[in-house]
Amino acid sequence: MKADKLGIRKLYALSSENKRFCFSQPLKHSIRIGKREYEVKLKSDEKYGTYILWKNRKYPVEIVRSRQNRYEILFNDISYIFTVETPFSMQRMKVLSSGRGKNEQESLKAPMPGKIIDVLVREGANVLRGEPLLILEAMKMQNEIQSPVNGQIIRIHAKPNSNVMKDDLLIEIKVT
Amino acid sequence: MKIKRILIANRGEIAVRIIRTAREMNIQTVVVQTSAEPNAMYVSQADVVYDNTEDTSEIPVFLNIDMLIDIALKTKSDAIHPGYGFLAENAYFAQKCIDKNIVFIGPSPDAIYKMGNKTIARKIAMSLNIPMAMGSEGNIGNEEEAVIIAEKIGYPVIIKAASGGGGRGMRIVRKADEMEKMFIIASKEAEKAFNDPSVFIEKYIENPKHIEFQILGDKKGNVIHLGERECSIQRKHQKLLEEAPSSALDDYLRGVMGKTAVQIAKAVKYYSAGTVEFLLDSEKNFYFMEMNTRIQVEHPVTEIITGIDLIEQQIRIANNEALKLRQEDIKLEGWSIECRINAEDVQSGFAPDPGKIEKLNLPTDHFIRVDTGVQAGSAIVSSYDSMIAKLIVKGTNRKDALRNCKLALDKVWVKGVKTTLPFFRMLVRNPKFIDGSFTTAFIEKDLDKFYLNSEYEEMLAAWLATKMFAEENLMDNSIPVDSENSREMSPWLLNKRINQF
Repeated sequence: MKADKLGIRKLYALSSENKRFCFSQPLKHSIRIGKREYEVKLKSDEKYGTYILWKNRKYPVEIVRSRQNRYEILFNDISYIFTVETPFSMQRMKVLSSGRGKNEQESLKAPMPGKIIDVLVREGANVLRGEPLLILEAMKMQNEIQSPVNGQIIRIHAKPNSNVMKDDLLIEIKVT
Repeated sequence: MKIKRILIANRGEIAVRIIRTAREMNIQTVVVQTSAEPNAMYVSQADVVYDNTEDTSEIPVFLNIDMLIDIALKTKSDAIHPGYGFLAENAYFAQKCIDKNIVFIGPSPDAIYKMGNKTIARKIAMSLNIPMAMGSEGNIGNEEEAVIIAEKIGYPVIIKAASGGGGRGMRIVRKADEMEKMFIIASKEAEKAFNDPSVFIEKYIENPKHIEFQILGDKKGNVIHLGERECSIQRKHQKLLEEAPSSALDDYLRGVMGKTAVQIAKAVKYYSAGTVEFLLDSEKNFYFMEMNTRIQVEHPVTEIITGIDLIEQQIRIANNEALKLRQEDIKLEGWSIECRINAEDVQSGFAPDPGKIEKLNLPTDHFIRVDTGVQAGSAIVSSYDSMIAKLIVKGTNRKDALRNCKLALDKVWVKGVKTTLPFFRMLVRNPKFIDGSFTTAFIEKDLDKFYLNSEYEEMLAAWLATKMFAEENLMDNSIPVDSENSREMSPWLLNKRINQF
């Protein structure tokens, strides 16, 4: 493997829950658990497709999405989202985030393509976590889309009887 | 006249399942090839394929009564098996078959009608003094009436579609001011799903177990039961895992509930296979819920513990044969568990995840049975259900079956769509599931995480993300050709990545 261009010795993968994984650069094909190093292999074949081989077990993997430094990895049927940072960009992020306020906003997106049957809330309404916000029909099922947070509805983008695509913005909620 | 050729008015795994038994009985099968999935597995297995791929109407052929009858006549089929879903519980379809001299492999139109209409079914059960949840006498006209009845029987109540089934058109109402909203939603959903907006109200039994009895009846009036299945692992009334028998029943309760189920079936002169569903509360009181007048998705667990082929029984009964089995012949042996491996995203509240199945490896072993209608290359299309396969295991007892289930789950390999596998892998390790004390509220109330990921999986995923980043950003050559492993990356993976840029 060639040496990298910028002389970077470390990379960090930050999970969406802010867990930090640090890997030395160039990346080793092994991971240390306690005192032992275990070999990690990314492989692909006709029978299994792409997979990671670790401790004699195969795990199906997929890189579903990558945008700039953001990666969605499907590992054993579970999605993980990471942003990969260099020591430099990590430092910059820390500086930026220290100045940020607390008022977070939640953007509720369509989990699947379908049709909006009904919107159950109005803009300005206060909602509790788990409260049904709208009904989305997909694959012959009417699904209640619930609020992921306690908060206030800022904007409703979804209109009854309209069709939505996966990841279309439905509702914006201010977290309270 | 014995049945010689069956038109299967269905698709997917149940079509494949029916073909298997028909073949063993030397009966030919006819299936309908559709434009939605022209290369489906069931198409390749039938003796005769009716090409309906030119038909691109939005309503699937499996719901088109006239067309199905026409296909049966054209293909000289002397019987129709409806499978489950679609027209399986449509009395008019059953009658239409009879009118055209085609054997309907299922119960009589009259039994379908009476049990399919929940308010009539309630009246029949009431006349037999069968325990039921308190509820409205008949259908409810509007939300004001609903509020009055709910006040009388006490909240929480459940609004149900009179023509419902499969968990659709149901809404739980906990207080009066929710009623208007829920009534309208339930009624709208019922109209869309069943062409009938009428709904009724029942007392909602908190945290029950879902216990159902498999029934077999013949045209001579003999009815027996094949024991119970427990289907308490469900989400929004959609079953995910079923097992037989249930750890909540002892022989005495099994006898009482089984007898009750037979009594209900006899009241409508039931023949063919059917299922009587009950709720069982924490004091082991049981309440009649409904009867399903079809073969069910979860029928294999009963087949495993009784050794009886239910599709074969359905065909024999349709052939006017008398049941050879007596109640005392039915012995429940061992334990069986079925996991519904669906293309669903457990991280997004079990949202369907349609797509092409890139790879599919299903385990084989003496304790494993897999019923599936797809293979690698098949698509899970949004016009049909999201089932990939039913993983059915057996064991000498529940503990043994659970251990086998855990082993089997680790051997299922699906790529291309997200599946319910992580949910089952978590479930078989959950103490409340293992000890059997779970109820229908389990998924919504007792779980805070719907999937299993072992300690190191996230770290390995992080490693992979880092690897991708390094290859895309830090190498002299931005396309990863240098690394020995990335050369092996599947074109599909690369395509998926390229599409995102």
